[in-house]
Formats: sequence, structure tokens, C-alpha cells
Amino acid sequence: MDSVADKQEREDSLAGVGCSRKRKEDSRFIQGKGNYVDDVKLPGMLFADMVRSPFAHARIKSINKEKALALPGVHAVLTADDLKPLNLHWMPTLAGDVQAVLADEKVHFQYQEVAVVIADDRYIAADAIELVEVEYEELPVLVDPHKAMTDDAPILREDLVGKMDGAHSKREHNNHIFNWQAGEKEATDRVFDSADVTVSQDMLYHRVHPCPLETCGCVASMDKINGKLTVYITSQAPHVVRTVVSLLSGVPESNIRIISPDIGGGFGNKVGVYPGYVCAIVASIVTGVPVKWVEDRMENISTTAFARDYHMRGEIAADNDGHIKALRVNVLADHGAFDACADPSKFPAGLMHICTGSYDVPVAHLNVDGVYTNKAPGGVAYRCSFRVTEAVYVIERTMDVLAQKLGIDKAEIRRRNFVKKEQFPYQTCLGWELDSGDYHTALDKVLDAVDYPALRREQEEKRAKGELMGIGLVTFTEIVGAGPSKNCDILGVGMFDSAEIRVHPTGSAIARMGTITQGQGHQTTYAQIIATELGISSDEISIEEGDTDTAPYGLGTYGSRSTPVGGAATAVAARKIKAKAKKIAAHLLEVNEDDLEWDIDRFKVKGVPGQEKTMKEIAWAAYNNVPEGMEPGLEAVDYYDPPNFTYPYGVYLCVVDIDKDTGVTHIRRFYALDDCGTRINPMIIDGQIHGGLNEGYAVAMGQEMPFDEQGNLLGNTLMDYFIPTFVETPHWETDYTVTPSPHHPIGAKGVAESPHVGSIPTFTSAVVDAFSHLGVTHMDMPHNAFRVWKKVKELGLLD
Amino acid sequence: MQVDLNKEFAVPGSTTTAWTFLQDIKAVASCMPGAEITEELGDGKYKGKVKAKIGPATMAFNGDIDVKSIDADKREIHLIGKGQDTKGTSSASMDLRAWIVAGEEGNSTLKGEAAVTVTGKAASLGGRMMTQVSDQILNQFGQNFANNIASMGEGEEAEKAKDAVAEQPAELNGFAFGWSVFVGWLKSLFGSQKTS
Repeated sequence: MDSVADKQEREDSLAGVGCSRKRKEDSRFIQGKGNYVDDVKLPGMLFADMVRSPFAHARIKSINKEKALALPGVHAVLTADDLKPLNLHWMPTLAGDVQAVLADEKVHFQYQEVAVVIADDRYIAADAIELVEVEYEELPVLVDPHKAMTDDAPILREDLVGKMDGAHSKREHNNHIFNWQAGEKEATDRVFDSADVTVSQDMLYHRVHPCPLETCGCVASMDKINGKLTVYITSQAPHVVRTVVSLLSGVPESNIRIISPDIGGGFGNKVGVYPGYVCAIVASIVTGVPVKWVEDRMENISTTAFARDYHMRGEIAADNDGHIKALRVNVLADHGAFDACADPSKFPAGLMHICTGSYDVPVAHLNVDGVYTNKAPGGVAYRCSFRVTEAVYVIERTMDVLAQKLGIDKAEIRRRNFVKKEQFPYQTCLGWELDSGDYHTALDKVLDAVDYPALRREQEEKRAKGELMGIGLVTFTEIVGAGPSKNCDILGVGMFDSAEIRVHPTGSAIARMGTITQGQGHQTTYAQIIATELGISSDEISIEEGDTDTAPYGLGTYGSRSTPVGGAATAVAARKIKAKAKKIAAHLLEVNEDDLEWDIDRFKVKGVPGQEKTMKEIAWAAYNNVPEGMEPGLEAVDYYDPPNFTYPYGVYLCVVDIDKDTGVTHIRRFYALDDCGTRINPMIIDGQIHGGLNEGYAVAMGQEMPFDEQGNLLGNTLMDYFIPTFVETPHWETDYTVTPSPHHPIGAKGVAESPHVGSIPTFTSAVVDAFSHLGVTHMDMPHNAFRVWKKVKELGLLD
Repeated sequence: MQVDLNKEFAVPGSTTTAWTFLQDIKAVASCMPGAEITEELGDGKYKGKVKAKIGPATMAFNGDIDVKSIDADKREIHLIGKGQDTKGTSSASMDLRAWIVAGEEGNSTLKGEAAVTVTGKAASLGGRMMTQVSDQILNQFGQNFANNIASMGEGEEAEKAKDAVAEQPAELNGFAFGWSVFVGWLKSLFGSQKTS
């Protein structure tokens, strides 16, 4: 009865943690039965479309709506002047700034929203926007952030003239947003002044866009009879949206229902609140009928949330053996026309101060200045946890430069500087506590797997023949799972997350979370956590997210926070249920609680075979036979405020061959080892890593948002913006080690973003490595064929 | 997005004839494919429109032309044209200096320097073809300019030129234009064509 085989069978039937359970959500997606915002069709629904500015910086002299209003089927044309009486022509941003909902007297970036047309259908709305006549007076355009704070720079934000107290610091110029620093400047400078060796490298982490397959959109529906506002929206943080909408509109939060249905990828693009949402909501409140707004691809890339655009300088002071003595990082951050970065309120540069990476750095100083330019606002964490991508890029690139200067192999220099296994938990000099890690083991595993010495030998031979082969190596540490409320809040709400689990009388269960899946597979993995905790088969657990009327309040899904925070809440809520179940079991078995032990899916009386109650039996009893004084039912809710972030890490190695004549970089091999702590579903982890590597490849090798001097965005369609398909995608090899997080209830750390964060500098490392014997220390992304070819030409390598 | 272009075209007839024609803004505007002057505001200012159909995209620009200077000694005219497309998604401007010099065998040469700036969708979508498109527009302009002057004369050449002027398309249009842009681009790849 208690045979090993029996135990294994019971364990397997749960499909719990560690099982490569097939994704629950895929049956509807592969049949085309997903339900996205644009699938929502309500009776009498109207459509919104935006009039947008062709200019990056211009004064609006007049707006003439007459011709548009005369078009049959057009209900309204709204401008900033129409929103002014509601005080909705500007809205607060997550970063403590304000942002124009519709351009108020001035446009600050190309494609900025100038007016919104509400019409019977999408086609009429599209025709009508062309009939709205806007007269502009062009103003000087500021594109280059390095020129933002010069004396003759044009004034962008007239609303801020004279207001020199910014949300995060004093502002030194009208185009200055903030200065933010971490670490010890003087101590760091002193080390640099007397160090054996120093290196300094300028690098641009260029502006890119998350560009999820589904663009942003919403359907707002105001029911004037009962005063209830329902908004279907592509949001990674539906509860935050509810709070924001209530604060902006004055509608009580209890009368607002936000529904994030299926979401076709977020990657940070769907965290913020955009003018289109506000306009649709206002239009529905005014008209009393549902209003849909869904942006097209050009609008998506041009206006809703860019990422990165960090102009960085990384500097390391070291001894002659390559041991780091100090780190200095300086950043000029181009935030566009409004500071709408999505970061925890206290951190205008996100978690950039994780830039000491995986290394034992004695002292460091980080300085970040944010400036306004005539570009769209944003600054979101594109598959990344609040600027971690930038932090990893700057430290990993600078480490390569140090290795090159000292003539030490890039694997060896990392090995010498790693935080050692026995040093965890490790306090970084910039204020973080790395929870757990074993970096040396991970590095050795990768170097062995690819036979690193053989690759270096091959490279030597190729170089002798004049061929270009590069080996990239990155050993990154992430910081995810924002976050402890002592560090992190969004608009004053602590960044906890939540889970509510109800076990039904027949032993199946439903759970609802404050997070929202956008492809991560929450329906599958959360059920696995509960299955293992409660001994209920994951197939009998349904997971619901995204409806604020039913789910407990949570801060949503971004920054790899679902598993570290939502997953922790899920485990803790399950444990609350289990504690109650134990009491019920003791009552049913007429023993003391202490006499019971847990065995996969049941409580057993210790040492008395056969005396046991399964979770199914306990669930039934919970509704009809509980101990005296206990309330019936079997459910729990948990709001989990994590004690720390989690710190997943990895070692990535990439081998490239570059064709000198065409500049094409062929990714010969990419080996990705990740340590995300406890692995909930290995298949989903692999999928996440493949996806993240693909997006990393996209950013490093092709994606960019170039602007010309007039502030025109050159490349806002998928003709120009690089989305790798199966044609371009390299072959990925994945591997892992497991170092659980000591503070997470099940030891899991989160994984979705590691491959993006870690792979991008790996590609740069590999491409630069192909030229490093020629004295090249860095090449800015994207490493497309033209740019690489230009480097080949510049170095005189063409035959 | 800004493109700087320098062009020159052989024009039949004397410099005086060519210079006289160059000062007739309405006539010169009509040499620009798809362009016409709709209103003369006086003081060297005009209202005009340009219609362009390139592939699936039709753009109509309404704008102003401002003649900044006419220098009879240098036979040079300087004008600035600015326009916004009627859909409000793009704008374009051209700062043009054009002058006449003596050419071979009593003929003359029209020389021009233009800075063309485009913003909005036209720049985002058409940026990479802009040099070629602008170049071709100016080539057609040069051809039309020469035809107009030739048609003032007499004889077989003048008759041919008159026919060519009459057949001049009312808007910048069609496959032929797209093809010439494509050929221009191809040629530029192989370095056989200089755009400046």
C-alpha cells in the first residue's frame, strides 16, 4: 500500500513542482480561441482613433474639427481643451511627472496625440482623423540628449519653467529631470586615483521597443444606470490601473472593474497608462456607450513605451591581477518628452544599482542624470526588471574591457572577481543583498560543456588565416521580484502580491492572483505550486487572473515578479489552508495535530498504517464536519510582502563567425546556463529562455529606433523593426544549476527575463571579441550587417 | 529627414529666355510634377498644392511658396516652399536656389541647389527612398522646364516639346515614376549615378 511505486504514482498524479506539465492555456491559443481585447465586441460600441502630430516639437496654433464632425458616423472630436474642464488633459505618470493626454498648446514628440475622434466604426474614425485640421508652428527640435542641458537648448517643457524641484532631485536645467546617485563618490574616486589599472568605456544602450505581437488597446464601458465602469484592457497591472482610473476620474474604486483578458505579450509595454486608455474611458463616460481604442503597429512602436536609451560610461579600477577595486558608472538617460518611466517610485533609474553584477566590488559609485528630449515617453522594463538589462550590460562590457587591457582571459577575470559561494548572503556595496549563488560552478559547467580552450585555439587558427571568429561570455546576476515594500512602491502602494485559494467540497480548487499572465503560463505553473503544497492534482485546480472584481489586489506581472512574489503568496496561502486541513484531519482521526505527518496528498497518523485522511476527504469534511469552534470552509488569501528580491543568475556563451565581405554575423553556438532556484516547470522554463534569448538576439542584432535631426522616428513599422522569425533565430542550447532562494517559500527565483538580460551583452561580447585582437574594445548595438561591415572597412580588413 | 540635392539641366535657348521663364513662378511650379499654384497672394507669396501618388500611398500637400529673392544679375531665384499634407500626417519643405548660366552652343543651363525636409509619416515610411524620390522629382522638373522653353520656339523640336508639355501628368504618378526611382536606386548601388 505504501510501496515506492504507489508513492511515485500519487506524486506523479499531482503534476506538481518540477513536472514538465503541458501548458493549460495552449489548447485555446492554438485553436484561435483566445480572447483578446480586440475580440471584445459590446452592443453599441464606438471606436476611437487618434490625430497625431507629424512634428516632434511644435506649437499648436489651431485645431479645426468642423470637417471631421460633418462626416456621417462621427460622434465627437475631443482635444485638450475639451478635457480641460475634467482636468484630464494632463495625467500623472508613474515617475512623478505629468504627461499630456492630448497635446496642450504644444506637441513634444512626433506622433503625439493631438485629438481623438469617436465614431461608429474603426473605418469612419480613421477617415475622420484625416479631416481634423491642425495648424502647427514648428519649434527647434531636441533629439540628442547630450545637448539637452546646454545653454542654447530649446525649452521643451514650458509647464515646468521655474519649477526646479523635481520629483527625485533638484533640476539643473529646464530639460533636466533628475540626478540620482548610489554608492560613495569620494571613496570610489580615491581608489581610482591610486589604482594599478583603470579602464573606461563609453557605450550606448540604444532605444528599442518591446513590440509585443498584440498592440495596446482597451474597451471602456460606462453603465450610466448603475454607475459602474468596466474596462477591458491590455494591462500587465490591472489593479494598479483600477486605482489610477479611480484617482483620475473620481469614480469610486468599488465601481470600477478592470479586466485584462488574454494578452498577446507584454514585455513591459503594457505596464503604463496611455492617453488612448484615458480618452476611451472619458468618451465612454460622456457617451454612456462602450468605446474601443486599439492602436496600430506604427502607433505602438512610436508612442507607447520605448525601453532603454541609456548613454553609459563604465569604469573599473583594478590591481594588476585583475581584482576589481572600484566601479564607477555614469549614465545619461534619455527619457523623452515626459518622464513616464515605469519604476518603483523611489528609484528613478530603476534597479540600476545592481550594476556591481556577480562580482565582489569593494566600493562603487553610480550617477544617473535623466533628461527630456523630443521623443515619446516610456522607459519601460523590456523583458527586464527595471533597468537591470542596462546594469548587466555596463558591468559585463566593462569587465571585458578590463580583461582585454590586462591580457587576462575573460572567463578567468570573472572567476577571480566572483562573489564566492560562502559569501552569500552577500551585501553589495550599492545596497543589495544577493540571496544565493554558486557562480564558479556555473561558469565551470559552461566552459566544460563547450570545451572553451578548444574554442580559443580554433580562434587563434582562424585569426592567423584572417578570419573573424568571436567568443562572447557573460556571467550575469539579475535582481527580480520587486519587491519588498520597504524598497518598492508604485504610487504609494507597496509592491506585494497576492493569492486567494478556495478548495471546494469535492476537493478541487480555484485560485486567483493579483498577477496577470501574458504568455508566462501562470494557469499551468501556479496550479503546480498548489498541487505540491496541498496534494490536489493540478488538473483539478483552476487559476484565474486579470479581473479586479474577483482577484485579490496585486501589483501585476513584470520584472519577473510573478514567481518570486505571486508564487510565494500562492505557496503561503496554500500553507494556511494546509494548516487548517491538518486541524480538520486531527479532528477526523481523533488524534493530536502533532501526531500527524504529511504524505504527498494526505495526513497520516505517525506510526499507524492506514490511519490517514486524504485532502479530498478533508475538503469534504471542511464543509460538514469541522472541529468545534472552527468556521467551515477551506480557503485562504495571502498578501505576500517579500523580505528581499531574488537574484537569479546565469552564464551565457556565444560563438560567432563574421563574414568580412557582407558584415553578416552568424551565431554558430549559443549556450545558456540559468540558475533560477527551484524549477517549477522545466518545459516552461525552457520556453521562457528560448523566448528571452530570441528577444535578446533581436535587440543586440537588429532592433533600433533611430531618429533624424527633425525628430522623425525612422523605422516604426515591421518593415524596419526587427522581429526575428524562425528564419533568423539561432539554435539555443540550455542548461541549468539549482541554487534555491533561501527566503522564498519554495526557493524559486523567477526566470523569464534572465535570458534577455543576459544574452544581449553576450552577443556584443562575441562580436567585439571577433575584432578584439585588432584593438577594438566595444561596438555599439545593433550589430547588424551594415554596422559590422563598416567596422570591417574601417579596420581595413576588406580584401 | 533632410536631403540636399544639387542638380543641373541643359535648357535650349538663350540665358535670357531661360531666366525670363524662371521668374514666372506659376509656370515654373507647373514644371514640378503634380504641383500647381492655386493662389497668388502678392509680394512674392503664393499658395499651391502638390499631389503625389507613389505606390499605394497618395499624398496631397497644401502649402505656401515664398519667393525670398530674385537676383537679375546672377539670374538667380531663391524660394522656400512649405506644405502639410491634407491628412495632417506629414509635412515637407524645400529651400531652393536656382540660377541660369550660359551653356554650350548658345543654349543655357539651369542649376539648382535644394534642401528638402520631410517630417511625419512620409519620413518614417519613405525615409530610405527619399533621396531617390527627390532626385527623380527634380529630374522630371528639369525635363519639364526644358520642354516648356523648347515649346516656345518653332519647328519640329518645339512641336515635340509642346506635345510633351501637354502630356505632362497632372500628378506625380504611377509605375513609371516608381520604376525610375527603382532604377535610380539600383544605379546608385553600383556607383554609376551621381545624385549630386
